[in-house]
Amino acid sequence: MRKRRPAVVLLSSSEEEEGEENEPLKPRSSRSAIAPRKRSRAGASRKASSVSHPKPRRSSRGVKAVKIKIDSGLADFCEGLEDFHMAPENTLSGLQSKEGIQLWVDKYKPHTLEELAVHKKKVEEVKKWIEDRVKAPKEDFGGNRTLLITGKTGVGKSAAIHVIASQIGAVLCEWTTPTPTLWQEHMHNSNLGLRYMSKLDEFENFVEKSRKYSLLHMPNSEGSRKPVILLIDDLPTINGRAALVRLTKCLTALTHSTQVATIVLLTEYCKTESADSPTHHYEELESSLCRVGASKVTFNPITVNSIKRTLFKICQQEGHDVTADLINYIAKSSGGDIRHAITSLQYCCLRPEKCFSWQVSACISSKLESNDSTPVSISSKKEGEDAYDALPLSIGRDETLTLYHALGKFLHNKREITDQSALGSDTILLKDSFLRNPLKMDAPEKILSQANAQGRSITDFLHENVLDFISDEAIDDAWLVISYLCEADCLLANVVCSTYLQTDGIAQSIASSIAARGVLFGNSHPSPSRWHTIRGPKLWQIEQSMGLNKNQMQKESFQRYPYNSSEVSTEYRPRMKWLSSQTSHDAVAQQNQVLYPMKADDHTDSVSSDGLTEESEDEIEDC
Amino acid sequence: MLWVDKYRPRTLDKIIVHDEIAQNLKKLVSEQDCPHLLFYGPPGSGKKTLIMALLKQMFGPGAEKVKLENKPWKIDAGSRTIELELTTLSSTHHIELNPSDAGFQDRYIVQEIIKDMAKIRPLDAKGKKGFKVLLLNQVDKLSREAQHSLRRTMEKYSASCRLILCCNSSSRVTEAIRSRCLNVRVNAPTHEQIVKVLEFIAKKESLQLPPGFAARIASQSNRNLRRAILSFETCRVQQYPFTANQAISPLDWEQYVSEIASDIMKEQSPKRLFLVRGKLYELLVNCIPPEIILKKLLSELLKKLDFELKHEVCHWAAYYEHKMRMGQKAIFHIEAFVAKFMSIYKSFLIATFG
Repeated sequence: MRKRRPAVVLLSSSEEEEGEENEPLKPRSSRSAIAPRKRSRAGASRKASSVSHPKPRRSSRGVKAVKIKIDSGLADFCEGLEDFHMAPENTLSGLQSKEGIQLWVDKYKPHTLEELAVHKKKVEEVKKWIEDRVKAPKEDFGGNRTLLITGKTGVGKSAAIHVIASQIGAVLCEWTTPTPTLWQEHMHNSNLGLRYMSKLDEFENFVEKSRKYSLLHMPNSEGSRKPVILLIDDLPTINGRAALVRLTKCLTALTHSTQVATIVLLTEYCKTESADSPTHHYEELESSLCRVGASKVTFNPITVNSIKRTLFKICQQEGHDVTADLINYIAKSSGGDIRHAITSLQYCCLRPEKCFSWQVSACISSKLESNDSTPVSISSKKEGEDAYDALPLSIGRDETLTLYHALGKFLHNKREITDQSALGSDTILLKDSFLRNPLKMDAPEKILSQANAQGRSITDFLHENVLDFISDEAIDDAWLVISYLCEADCLLANVVCSTYLQTDGIAQSIASSIAARGVLFGNSHPSPSRWHTIRGPKLWQIEQSMGLNKNQMQKESFQRYPYNSSEVSTEYRPRMKWLSSQTSHDAVAQQNQVLYPMKADDHTDSVSSDGLTEESEDEIEDC
Repeated sequence: MLWVDKYRPRTLDKIIVHDEIAQNLKKLVSEQDCPHLLFYGPPGSGKKTLIMALLKQMFGPGAEKVKLENKPWKIDAGSRTIELELTTLSSTHHIELNPSDAGFQDRYIVQEIIKDMAKIRPLDAKGKKGFKVLLLNQVDKLSREAQHSLRRTMEKYSASCRLILCCNSSSRVTEAIRSRCLNVRVNAPTHEQIVKVLEFIAKKESLQLPPGFAARIASQSNRNLRRAILSFETCRVQQYPFTANQAISPLDWEQYVSEIASDIMKEQSPKRLFLVRGKLYELLVNCIPPEIILKKLLSELLKKLDFELKHEVCHWAAYYEHKMRMGQKAIFHIEAFVAKFMSIYKSFLIATFG
């Protein structure tokens, strides 16, 4: 095993250079190598980078090579597995006795700048910013003493700050969120007469203090007077407008007057989580901070290559035999979230089941084989991704879609352009009017589940927007689409009656799938694609105001004489409106005649009532 | 007070339009007991008037002293409690309610609330056990489940209460209920009857009616007495010494629907469909019932349509009316009808004019 080590390092680095191409082509044996644990991490990485050089490769030959290698590779793999059964015992028992099982995320926290998987330039930028402020604390940066770092989860925001701070030798002073108060605790406290303090209050206090006493020329200031960086990582949860305003105010105040370098970390939430709308809050906070002069650095999701590099390193240090495929897969499926990638890796190494890794390799190789007939020139990257998508593995973050994204897919209705006659031979004979080109997307049901869409809202959204996407000539299509939406509506109608039944979910998903597929199928002449905004259903507003009107009408109608509501709305109300407008005209006229010398405010009164009547007449006309 | 209310006959004797039914009802009530009753007939034919007069006949003037109550109800339905607010109009002898207002929860009203009301049995003046009358409006809008439980209620509490049901169309009331009631069909008044009523009102108000004016109002009223009286009153406000050819203002929403119809005839495209949708929304906001919109729209379209298309268009209107009852959101179905119409009409235009 140990002999293979250089090969492994070389492999990993060559992969970095070449991206996703062709990893499966490598002989299996070389992939399943275990690096010794005792090597120091820094050494490993240095070595890796020194050895790395691109390796020439011809893919067409490689494909054939794999076909041959599969069998031998399998045998090799089984052998490797036997090795493995012994390995975990050693490693695990060793680990447990020393330090217990530790999360790899913590264990392999980056300690040097080189270890950071974040892009070098970003790190440099942040580092320079901090150094500037720390080295010349008295200098004026135009009030710019706040750095805003944004990025998705797991892109190494906190890690980067910690590493940089330790490099510079600055002390990080962090706002740590206080423990949440439980309800029982709260009851207890309030019984004792303690006043409840919201976390936001506490945060405000903290910020206030740190501004006023310029924090923290601190207990440790007797010594070497290390520079201090204020890090605000965990903003208090805000709920509602008022809280957001307070938090923004508080943070802007901090930005204005802070004496020490302050770093605010903001996590970008994926848009799908916007149901409880932290997204808006986050965006507003960000923009308001930038307005008061905070500099901003955005961390992008970590690239697949650097995640792979990190994962390889960890594998070597842990002495786990993980195939390049698997690492590749993990890296890709993590969506740029390195924390998630490491955790997945640990999970995979925990249970190195036979079928697990085997599936990966089998799947990929079969994919490659099936693609053998097609020209190899089609970017192998894309095929590789397909293969990963098909993997039935339980790791990785499932892709999520926003509702609007899903709607866009349905509405734009992108299809492959194929020749109908070419398809004709092997498809079931359909009338021309039923033939559609294949979709340029996943199955609609998959998209729906990714967007986590409810049947009702999907149907309403589609209904609201679909007409914009149908070409102006095609009224037949419009009818077809809407008739499908009708069916979906009928299905959904039954759902309401039995909200607690399980069958409900099925009806819902059937309805949404009918709606989506109906829109896709029916819109056979999509209008030339241009920018359309997707509107929220107006129907919802309409329903709301309809409800209000109805309530009001019920009250009115019962006050006088019991009519049923449809009579009131169709016959009484219009007439009454008309009559009242007439009579008020009359009244005004009479007033004018009788009390001719009027006071000024009377006059305005009559004018205003006049205006009112006109308005109500207008209403009649447009309603 | 509107003339409609002012000149509503209060007793069975004073009823002009359906005097025969009124006399029969009077006979029915004078003999001690009465069965459950189901009144049905088109709007504006006088069902409610008959019922109120009947109640007065049964209980005397006490039936007219009504009070309005808006009461929250809590109903225990197995796993959860349902909270409902229900407006009722009640006197000591009867309670009137609109169970279909609760939408899809109507069956709880029927099951629980009506049961509750039906259980309490009033004593009449002589100490005899009397009965209470429950007046349910718009029974045809009740869901099927609600109608089934209504049937049960009817049987169980028939000793202590009588139900008077009122609806537009008996075809949407289940057979089970219909067979347990005495059905009273209230026809739409004929033009002559309407003219008679209008003349009666004119005499009471001491107005000069030019010849033929009442007939014109009657013919525009669609055999709806209420509408006739209302538009009569509007005309009075509009212009008093009546002239024979005075314009009778149509209802605003009807005008609007015919506007929609002409929009549809002018252009058939998704864009136009979208415009029509906006207009339909406005009608819906004003609580015009979707069925009525669809019906009116159909009749407006038929007016302008070529003969050979009428059959097909009617078919689709019926189809979507049915769908609308099955579905939840009416706009989908009305719009589907409009789209279908557009598509039929467009292909017709292309076929005829190329």
